[in-house]
Amino acid sequence: MKEKMSYNEIYSEVNFEENKIISFEKNNSVEYSFRIFRDNVAGIHYQAGEIEDSAGFAKAEENLALKRPYPYTLESGTRRRNKTEKEYTDKDLLSIAHEALAHIHKAYPQFILSGSFALQTDCARQTNEAGLDYENIDSHIQVNVTYKHKDSKNITDGYFSIGQRNFSFEKLYAMADNYLGAFEKKAEFPEEIILQSQYYGLISMVTNSLNAEALSLGTSLLTGKLGQKVFSEEFTLIDDVSDEYCWHTPFWDGEGCVKENDKRIFIEKGVPLLGYSDKRVAEKYNVPHTGNAWRKYSDIPENGNVNMQIARSTKTVRELLGGRLSVVLDSYSGGGFNEKGDYVMPVHHAFLCDGEKFLGSLPPFTLTSNMFDMFGKDFIGVGSDQPVFNDKQVLMKMNISKNL
Amino acid sequence: MYQFPKDLYVDVRIEETYNTYYFVKNGDVEADSSVNVTGAIIRVFDGNLWYTGSTNDIDGIQKEIDNLASLATPNPDILNHPTVAAYEVNKAAILTFTGDKDIRNISREQRTALVHHYIDSCVDDSIPEQKLYAASLQTYYRKKQFYSSKGAEIIQDFQSCNCGVFYTFAVNDIPVSGGKYYAGMTFDRLLGHEDEILAERDRYLDYARNAVDVTPGDYTCVLAPVVTAMFTHESFGHKSEADFMLNDKTLQEEWVMGKKVGNDKVSICDNGALINNGYVPYDDEGTKARETWLIKNGILTGRLHDAHSAVTLKEAPTGNSRAQSYLNTPIVRMTNTYMEAGTDNPEDMIKDIRDGIYVYNVNSGTGQSTFTMIPSLCYRIRDGKLCEPLRVNVLTGSVFKTLFDIDAVGTDFELFDTFSCGKNGQSAAVSAGGPTIRVKSLTAN
Repeated sequence: MKEKMSYNEIYSEVNFEENKIISFEKNNSVEYSFRIFRDNVAGIHYQAGEIEDSAGFAKAEENLALKRPYPYTLESGTRRRNKTEKEYTDKDLLSIAHEALAHIHKAYPQFILSGSFALQTDCARQTNEAGLDYENIDSHIQVNVTYKHKDSKNITDGYFSIGQRNFSFEKLYAMADNYLGAFEKKAEFPEEIILQSQYYGLISMVTNSLNAEALSLGTSLLTGKLGQKVFSEEFTLIDDVSDEYCWHTPFWDGEGCVKENDKRIFIEKGVPLLGYSDKRVAEKYNVPHTGNAWRKYSDIPENGNVNMQIARSTKTVRELLGGRLSVVLDSYSGGGFNEKGDYVMPVHHAFLCDGEKFLGSLPPFTLTSNMFDMFGKDFIGVGSDQPVFNDKQVLMKMNISKNL
Repeated sequence: MYQFPKDLYVDVRIEETYNTYYFVKNGDVEADSSVNVTGAIIRVFDGNLWYTGSTNDIDGIQKEIDNLASLATPNPDILNHPTVAAYEVNKAAILTFTGDKDIRNISREQRTALVHHYIDSCVDDSIPEQKLYAASLQTYYRKKQFYSSKGAEIIQDFQSCNCGVFYTFAVNDIPVSGGKYYAGMTFDRLLGHEDEILAERDRYLDYARNAVDVTPGDYTCVLAPVVTAMFTHESFGHKSEADFMLNDKTLQEEWVMGKKVGNDKVSICDNGALINNGYVPYDDEGTKARETWLIKNGILTGRLHDAHSAVTLKEAPTGNSRAQSYLNTPIVRMTNTYMEAGTDNPEDMIKDIRDGIYVYNVNSGTGQSTFTMIPSLCYRIRDGKLCEPLRVNVLTGSVFKTLFDIDAVGTDFELFDTFSCGKNGQSAAVSAGGPTIRVKSLTAN
């Protein structure tokens, strides 16, 4: 049985340095995985760049000798999804970059701006002789801006970015106004520290802990806790590839599996329900198969491909705050979770925020908490709206130490 | 070789790579792959903008040159553009890894046998706390060609390999991972480490059983050589990359040459000519590698450049313009960066510390004005003696202060090929090194 995966990315990028556009880059890349399954083993060939199918499958045939185990039935199904909202040309991208950079620099000449405007369009496809034919197309413009005040001794002072499938100057300018307009104002810490943040990094420990293999081996902090209420009633975690802020993510996994309605709940109202698995892990540990295999182009699939999203509250960010102020991190790095689930993050720069608008810059500090507190007693929720980041954002209480 | 368009600067970088990866977890071979990739990046500069494209079609490079040139505006004075004028025109063929040294000549059987030998030698399934073990071996080979419209013609190679065994122990439901891996430029560097891996396993098992949480605060810290290596890279190495200052007057004044930036004992160097993980005999603009002393006896003496930053700051290129692959444009990067050995006895450094931390190993770090390091294993120093293992989440310090706080620099220098550095979305193989050092104060959380 033959199977072929392909990924084609057209990526254009306009780079700017010290307020000036310096380069235009364009990459049009394609990569393939040719796969032959026979007698419970797979022969796989990875190819960067074009190759005739016959030549690719011939190399995959040769690699059957490696005896990579794959005793599972191939999937079938036909579906195409195109998340493109608007098509842009390179000329459009250059025009957007020139106009937006000039506007922001004129409004905030006291800052040195560097970064990029990038247009990414990609197409992932997987077909096989069992009747699988899936395709996913997505396209968006990503703007990344690193800023530094001209009087600052730091290499950079902060960073903001925005991804949009239908580019809006207004949203970018609102973000620039929020960050650059508030930077020079000084703010003081509120009595209660409520973090307002995009949550992808914050849920990494919970996500890793839901690996079905780790749960089975006893190397997860959630081992033995499935079915128990260990997090907040408000905390529901869903693997959801239908989410509008899930960029360039195919709806199927590396084994051609699709979730019902493109989503699956792993933690419901604070209760971890099950771990995620691919076919091998599900069989080996006798756990439910959840269709979470990575698309590995040079080898057999591997467990771990998840797109976890926290279920949104019906309340907006400001409603969740209820008149309290939040803290939005701007420049932070080098921290994370330790093996106990304790979280420490050195924060070089952060803003005090009313939920929507930044009120001023906070002094450097260190943010601390623990995974079970962050998503348990200290969890507030994910707003129904997306102020500040043009993305979903979580609110949770945290602790700080004012030394860095 | 190529028809370079008139009145534009063009360079072409072609890369051929060969990777292998073998990975065993709890007895299952979870990865066994080899990958060949060939690709090229073409850059065209008209004095105003760079136009860049990449391709896997090596026969189509001329077409890509012509396409990019059609976007640019011919500039009859392009060779006098300061950045273009600064590009070196070197012609060289440096193929260091040939014959027995060529990692591609190590067979799959040799590679897999080594992994299984380490598993047989270093995994003991009778340890009750051991929940998982993993062993891996990776090899990487790259041949790179560089051609420019100024006449540069360079062919060079690079290779590296690494192998290691890691364990996850669970004690009181807390999983602790640790182990040891070895990296080098040739396969023989991966052999014969059984005793060291077992010793490392026992250290992490002891940590899993006995570690206590650090009380957050400021501590005198003694850093093992591998930690000094990370410290050197993060605390000062990134500050030496000149592309962050360019026309920034504030930073130029802050980092002016001749300024005292650290203790007299501190000297830091970068050298891409060393055959280590940051080996770059010619950088991705064709500039020859050289030894660059960044700090000598506490005085700022140099910084790392590509041609653009060198011209902007009226200094000389240093051979530090590097790209992750043919899909990336080069930026200023470190190569092999190290703190020079000192004269202090490492054994003596903890003797007069009443309450401090010995940082034995480190996972990762970052380098802003406040640098950070995430240790993987620390020990408490109490009354001049090493005591129990200590759980420290993150160590931080200010680059403006910490280099002055180094009050002892050991004689036990080591250069480590196990480092990788991320910057602006690009990863670069680097080495980093140093001896045991003592820092009067770092913040532990």
